[in-house]
Amino acid sequence: MAERDLSGAARVIDRRAFLKLTLGAGGVMLLAACTSTPAAAPTTAPAVAPQAAATSGPATGAAPTTAAAPTTAPATQVGTATMRIAIGIDPDTLDPVGQTTTTVQNIVDYMVESLVFLGQDGKPQPGLAESWQVSPDGKSYTFKLRQGVAFHDGAPFNADAVKQSFERVLNKDMKVPLRSPMERVDQVTAVDASTVRFDLKAPFPPFIAAMAGTQYAIVSPNVAKSFPTSYNEQPVGTGPYLFKSRTKGSEVVLERNEKYWGRKPYYQTVQFRVVPEAATRESLLLANQAEMIILPPVSDIPKLQQNSQVKVLLAPSNRTIFVAIDVTRPGPTQDAKFRQALNYAVDKEGIIKSVLFGAADPMDAPMSSMLFGYCKAGAYPYDPNKAKQLLQEGGYSNVALKMGYPTGRYVQDAQAAQAIAGNLRDVGINVDPQTSDWPSYLAQINVPPDKSTFDIHMLGWAPGFLDAFQAMVQFKKSAWPPAGLATSHYSNPQVEDLLSKADQNQNEQERAQQYCEASKLIWNDAPWIFLWVQKFPIVHSVKVKNIGSLAIEKFSAIYAEPA
Amino acid sequence: MLTYIVRRLVAAIPTLLGVAAIVFAMLRLLPGDPARVIAGLLATDEDVERIRHQLGLDQPLPIQFLDFFLRLLRLDLGTSARTNQPVMNEILARLPHTIELAVIATIIATIVGVAAGVLAASHHNSRVDYLISAATLFGISMPVYWLGLMLIVVFAISLHWFPAAGADEPLSVVLPSLTLAGFVVALIARMTRSSLLEVLRQDYVRTARAKGLQEWRVTYVHALRNALLPVITVIGLQFGTLLGGAVLTETVFGWPGIGQLLVDSIFARDYPLVQGIVLTFAALFILVNLAVDVLYAYVDPRIRYH
Repeated sequence: MAERDLSGAARVIDRRAFLKLTLGAGGVMLLAACTSTPAAAPTTAPAVAPQAAATSGPATGAAPTTAAAPTTAPATQVGTATMRIAIGIDPDTLDPVGQTTTTVQNIVDYMVESLVFLGQDGKPQPGLAESWQVSPDGKSYTFKLRQGVAFHDGAPFNADAVKQSFERVLNKDMKVPLRSPMERVDQVTAVDASTVRFDLKAPFPPFIAAMAGTQYAIVSPNVAKSFPTSYNEQPVGTGPYLFKSRTKGSEVVLERNEKYWGRKPYYQTVQFRVVPEAATRESLLLANQAEMIILPPVSDIPKLQQNSQVKVLLAPSNRTIFVAIDVTRPGPTQDAKFRQALNYAVDKEGIIKSVLFGAADPMDAPMSSMLFGYCKAGAYPYDPNKAKQLLQEGGYSNVALKMGYPTGRYVQDAQAAQAIAGNLRDVGINVDPQTSDWPSYLAQINVPPDKSTFDIHMLGWAPGFLDAFQAMVQFKKSAWPPAGLATSHYSNPQVEDLLSKADQNQNEQERAQQYCEASKLIWNDAPWIFLWVQKFPIVHSVKVKNIGSLAIEKFSAIYAEPA
Repeated sequence: MLTYIVRRLVAAIPTLLGVAAIVFAMLRLLPGDPARVIAGLLATDEDVERIRHQLGLDQPLPIQFLDFFLRLLRLDLGTSARTNQPVMNEILARLPHTIELAVIATIIATIVGVAAGVLAASHHNSRVDYLISAATLFGISMPVYWLGLMLIVVFAISLHWFPAAGADEPLSVVLPSLTLAGFVVALIARMTRSSLLEVLRQDYVRTARAKGLQEWRVTYVHALRNALLPVITVIGLQFGTLLGGAVLTETVFGWPGIGQLLVDSIFARDYPLVQGIVLTFAALFILVNLAVDVLYAYVDPRIRYH
């Protein structure tokens, strides 16, 4: 045995033993490191699945109305219970102007309200404004405000408050990611205490629909004064709930506004619990530790539908998922026939059934059916033979396509992308799918034609307000990156013409007709592989009722009550 | 000893500055545009540019670094790009939860792990030994994600003993710390076992037995004390790692800790927050290492630092 060295940092174990120990420890730790690296478990809902519906841009949700709007008066029962809702992301900010994610907007909607509400049918309804008029030239909107409304801090709701609130939105020094619909506003005038007029720089037919957005909710003039260029994390609005407390990363707690101007909600307290893991959200519901959750693991939806203790709501949404085809890249993607072949090659219904577990509807237009201006544009049923035929006619053989897809951004995106790649291989197209995390992916696809790296890439698009205006942005040359996100680099002069007319047309019927014609042209040009419209899954205990949804990926649960 | 500690602390400063420089560079090498990610898909290019300007990302890189560096010297970690709150506040809001989880998990793991290791070593090659070795293999290999969900299914859904997620109730900490401890227990048990086995083969142990001491005295009073030295290092390092936030456990249990904040911030390209968290973790790790070394000197009287 080695002589004991009693100096310095000697140990009692001899060198050989020490080496054995450290190597052993190192080996064990290496083994441990290999098994506990934070790789998202791929087969079930990935650990970042909750970001899917949440973090993309769909903004402008409104203060929700449920089956019974707050205006329908009288005596409803109110209780002292707490409603616990589990969501997947921690709010970045609670200030209405800073909103980008619909899940966070959903929370803020409990506290603040806009002039216009979004109805469950997708149509605008009176909110803090009882009625509105548009001038014949479409550049002036006059709102008649509701009387007898007060903010949580006691300040009265009037035209002046609206003006101050909007000036805060329009202030260039304030960070408002989704200011753009309101950038057309030239001036906000308080005509009298209960009348406000908005003067626009140019006609903007979807203005009313856009006004329902959470970002444009009216906040107390005291907030506008104290936070002219920064975010206020304790919203003061006119809504049915007051801000009570917030623990970052954990929960947001609201309590009922006993002085609310409309119908009071049943639950005295609402607790939004932040639970990023979809499976854990589901566990909370099953363990009776939450009344309602959103976005459970998609693979569990069939099982939940059979569970008699819970109710599954697959709410219609505005989010289309598609594979954008870069039509300017040299190669077969420039040919409409080739793109149509791709459309016939993909088995959308099959993928929806087996990969998405029914949580989507196939697309039949370049936008969701929940939008104004939607009309059925066509169909590309699954027909691999037709696809092969079209490829043959075009003389395409041994085609190789580079495909990009995000992971954890949309429901089952990675799995669906693999299935799509498989479908394409079945008709003889070599597909090389690649993925990366969202920000890197975004940087790769958000490029002008000369910097493009993918032939086809998967993407989702959810307009901020339910109007074809924003859906059609994807097909305009003016929105090609880097100016916008029309990553398929598509442009058709006929379509551009129709869109520029429709975007300014005051006549609703004509407008809808023009969007419809444009949709059909786009459908035939097939700049996308049109996949599906995602559904927004909401699951709640059977012990609560009166829970609905808004078609912008929001739940409508303010008037939930015990069943 | 005091001078030793002070020297170590002073040496930590250039280390931290080095970490700061590395993390700054790494973030900027990552693809992805923070302004666009934060603004969202629907924001216009103009708004994105405005946000880029507000975040200071349109400045040339050396200026950005200088700004970051000078703030760091003032102990100003900057403002989160996503929430507009000071980074320090964001971190301090989450850090206690991570520390709580790390401390409890380490305590459980140490007690159970050392006990198991001693049991296995003192009954070497018996059934107990094999059982414990198998259990530790299981503990080390089992994915945290799976273990956490299984604990939730059994203890929260079926038995209703504990909350499935969150940190609001006192009992909330049980399932997450058990999940975290699962791996550390196994590690400590294995280390203790092999270390103790080595020590029990030493001459002085034979001498102690020859002297007529009871077996338990030999094992616990004489052998274990020496065997625990490498184990202390491992415990310390594990604790340090846990302080960095056990991301998977925090995600599964909705535990508002710092690991999750780090992952979210990376996905959101929230540079100031990522930088702040990495620096905090580096500082904590340095402190934990120092504490372990000091503890070592305390436990082993032959160790002298100069």
